Amino acid sequence: MGTIDSGDTAWLLISTALVMLMTPGLALFYGGLVRRKNVLSTIMHSFFILALISVTWVLWGYSLAFGPDSGIGLIGRLDWVGLEGVIGAPSETYATTTPHLAFMAFQMMFAIITPALISGAFAERKRFKAFVLFSVAWSTLVYAPIAHWVWSPDGWLAGLGILDVAGGTVVHLASGVAALVSALVVGRRMGLIEPITEPHDVPMTVLGAGLLWFGWFGFNAGSALGANGVAAVALVTTNTAAAMAALTWVTISWLHRGSPSVVGAAIGAVAGLVAITPAAGYVTPAASVLIGFGVGLVCYGASLLRLRSRVDDALDVFAVHGVGGAFGAVATGIFATVAVNEAGRDGLLAGNAAQLAVQILGVGAVATYSAAATAAILLAINLVVRIRVPGDAEEAGLDLAQHGEVAYQA
Amino acid sequence: MTIAALVVFAALLAAWLLAPAERHQRRARPEHSVMELAADAA
Repeated sequence: MGTIDSGDTAWLLISTALVMLMTPGLALFYGGLVRRKNVLSTIMHSFFILALISVTWVLWGYSLAFGPDSGIGLIGRLDWVGLEGVIGAPSETYATTTPHLAFMAFQMMFAIITPALISGAFAERKRFKAFVLFSVAWSTLVYAPIAHWVWSPDGWLAGLGILDVAGGTVVHLASGVAALVSALVVGRRMGLIEPITEPHDVPMTVLGAGLLWFGWFGFNAGSALGANGVAAVALVTTNTAAAMAALTWVTISWLHRGSPSVVGAAIGAVAGLVAITPAAGYVTPAASVLIGFGVGLVCYGASLLRLRSRVDDALDVFAVHGVGGAFGAVATGIFATVAVNEAGRDGLLAGNAAQLAVQILGVGAVATYSAAATAAILLAINLVVRIRVPGDAEEAGLDLAQHGEVAYQA
Repeated sequence: MTIAALVVFAALLAAWLLAPAERHQRRARPEHSVMELAADAA
């Protein structure tokens, strides 16, 4: 058993708090993008998940994701249900210089924000009761297994050598694909003439993006699990990719639409943060400039394609998190180098084409499983609770119809 | 202790399943539709 390092522990605890702040940040980011009659319901999705997954993670989620392997690398056993045996001493497996409970809490924040990301796809029309059931089921049946595949040393993708610092596949690709499936299953919002609605509060969205950017330092640099050089690399590459993607998105929107979009700057920064998530501790700052630029181009194109497809992924979760997560995972296989992180692997440009193949395999496996499992969960829930609110409730707005409250008085 | 915690959470889950789905299901009266409530709020 390792010895607790106070510096590593302090950084991990602070990072946990930073990542926790991302979920309220996401609430504001999404809340500003919807119509004013649905802002409370949209914020509630993220805020309620903060409470909901905090409990399920303690009761069974952590054990399924990070507990001792059940045999073939697919899911953990229930040995740690209720955090039995997860204590203040270091784990023999994870973050061996910090208390095991600190690592568990850090991972809890990832488990919380992942289903919250999906909520942007079905905003403005999903019944709250169905949302709650979906969040518990998805976190248990989709997030926990995928986290085990990638982050448990006994996970099958970890065994193949996949590189994913902080969840490009586990968090963003899985949630982005689930968002696309959710949008397809739930259906389009009623009465939309255009496939996009105007954000009701852009300052709220920009504030949310700022909080996400801030919290992302914990997300990525905290995933170094220590106060060390890899954490510094991860922090710098995270900031650089976010900045470059924001610059790229604004430039494209300026050229394409004739004005430098404020919302575009916010969404572009988030796309950059998504793409650097799997790569942050494995690539150089120069590579993060290229990753930020590339993901700005790709995600902007994906959002345009979404508009043409008429799929009502209300807040472009798939275009940003699904496409951005896949892009980042593949980019990791191209730009990774052990010159940055000895515990990592070389990618394509350092002469290891096999790493790129592993990354692509991981993207395919995670996307396929997330899509199939999400569809199955939604269809099963719809047999118990109608997923979608009635038409009059949707027209009135979910704030009033689902929560009996309104955000703004006239 | 763990089993007690699981039971408490299961009770919450059951409460969510049994709770009203829409506000207007509790307050449904012909003169107070959701649309009218929305209009009042606006």
